[in-house]
Amino acid sequence: MILSLASLSKTFGTTKAVDDVSLTIPEGEFLTIVGPSGSGKSTLVRLLAGLETPSGGDLFLREARITDTPANKRPTAMVFQSLALFDHRSVGQNIEFAMKMKGVPALARRARAMELLQLVRLPAEYYSRSVTQCSGGERQRVALARAFASDPEILFFDEPLSAIDYRLRKTLEVELKELHQRTGRTFVYITHSLEEAMVMSDRIAIMQDGRIIQTGTPAQIYGAPANRFVASFMGEVNILTVENKGDGQAAFVEIGQPIAKPGGAYAMVRPEALAQGAGDISAQLTVTQRLMLGSRTQVHLSSETGAILISEIPGTAPDLLIGSTHSFSFATQDIAWMET
Amino acid sequence: MQGRHTGALRALWIVAILAFLYIPIISVLLASMANTRYMRFPHKVWTLDAYREAIASFTTWQIHSISFWIAFFVVIFAVILGTLGAVAFARFDWRGRSLFQRLLVLPIFFPQPVLGLALLLSLNAVGLSPSWKTAILAHLVWIVPIVTLIISIRFFGYDPTQEEAARDLGANNWQVIREVTLPALWPGIFSGGLFAFLLSWSNLPLSIYTSGPDTPLPVWLFTRTATNYSPLVPSVAVIGTLISACLVISFALIVLAIRGLQRRRA
Repeated sequence: MILSLASLSKTFGTTKAVDDVSLTIPEGEFLTIVGPSGSGKSTLVRLLAGLETPSGGDLFLREARITDTPANKRPTAMVFQSLALFDHRSVGQNIEFAMKMKGVPALARRARAMELLQLVRLPAEYYSRSVTQCSGGERQRVALARAFASDPEILFFDEPLSAIDYRLRKTLEVELKELHQRTGRTFVYITHSLEEAMVMSDRIAIMQDGRIIQTGTPAQIYGAPANRFVASFMGEVNILTVENKGDGQAAFVEIGQPIAKPGGAYAMVRPEALAQGAGDISAQLTVTQRLMLGSRTQVHLSSETGAILISEIPGTAPDLLIGSTHSFSFATQDIAWMET
Repeated sequence: MQGRHTGALRALWIVAILAFLYIPIISVLLASMANTRYMRFPHKVWTLDAYREAIASFTTWQIHSISFWIAFFVVIFAVILGTLGAVAFARFDWRGRSLFQRLLVLPIFFPQPVLGLALLLSLNAVGLSPSWKTAILAHLVWIVPIVTLIISIRFFGYDPTQEEAARDLGANNWQVIREVTLPALWPGIFSGGLFAFLLSWSNLPLSIYTSGPDTPLPVWLFTRTATNYSPLVPSVAVIGTLISACLVISFALIVLAIRGLQRRRA
């Protein structure tokens, strides 16, 4: 375990930004902390980097307690949301900053900066360029090289890709993942996008109201969300409520269909699992909207109770016209059960 | 056709503006080369006698030296107070900040003669006799707000996360200030210092009330124009302008040289 969080807390006034978070991070892991804005994920990573002092709990790097170690004494580096590049310095001077603070001689600094430029795939002539002349993607790479230059044991990323357009973001996500594989360093990444987390991470921790409510591999989180919050965070999914009618009888409120052995209070059914035709649990649903998604078609379906369900069907689904009623169903094995 | 007209109009406009700005300055130069108390142009006799007299006179040296030392200390204090003020003004958010911002700029809107009178009265009240030292104080009351504003401008568009990034990369408090905050503020500090010097060097209304028996250049120019005019007055004015220009240029050169050295070292 490279980093252990033991009941870490941070309060601002009366608000608990980070509330009793315990977590262990194995060496070399790519951990992503996901949460909506205000969930405390930024505060949490600032606590880990030493930019905030915790109100309670402890933090251990390997076996050493670093709770009170200031940021400049921790062997960690952060890539900030704003990138926080030093605008009055060149690309080279930005990258060399940490080495300069350590007193590394100029020649050695320069040689290492050249290696780092190569690592982040920037041409060597960028060394003397001003950071203000760099494009958005180039600035990202400079920030990355600057963080690597301090030779950190852990790298923190505070939503560095949030202000970048879709295509470049996709490219940088893949590059970041490759960089993680090549360098073998521990990455702790913060984002509000579960999709981004799924692409890059070994493990995901989901945060809500200052607490970590679920941790697991992307597949675990995808397959078995801990509660409705996690399920809805994954985008458009159907969440059905189980109503117990006594003497072992139960039914889904939204579609009025009985369910023999409910595994929890709520059921998550993915749009692709809700298909036309007969199946374990079926219902008559009326199409209220259809959206072309390229390789598949998304239809919004209204049940007799007025609840809206979402289904995604491969192809163009020409028969699912708005206003028409069809039989839809899903298999019990496609249900992910949740208690809350 | 239209292009040629606009071109001619533009040229006329530029000439008019330049004439408006520079004819008064040129007249001082011309007046300094006369040998009579009354300006009749062109002069019957062109002479540099006034300059010879000015350079030979102890008073010329004295008024410049007084003005220089006042301006020198005003620059030092205004830059220090202005930088600290700008940090409080723009960098940090605290209770009462907006009140501080308003109170700080208030002296700029005071008519300077009123401010001068107010300062003289307060100096009397606390029992300080006016001299070049009290003139420094008076200049500061008016100049510090201006310098603070000039330096504050640098903080807008400044990302304070840079300081956190520096700390995260191993810089201690002093290194953060030296490597990140000051370099970002430096253009503001430079222009603030320059303004402080020029505003102090040319200040009449505050000095007239508060410099007591020590006479700085503008006060001497004013009193000699009012009571005992001779071509000596414009010649001293020209000398004073040249000296301030030399000081400003050498200041800029020193700064450039320091920067060059730093860059070569980096």
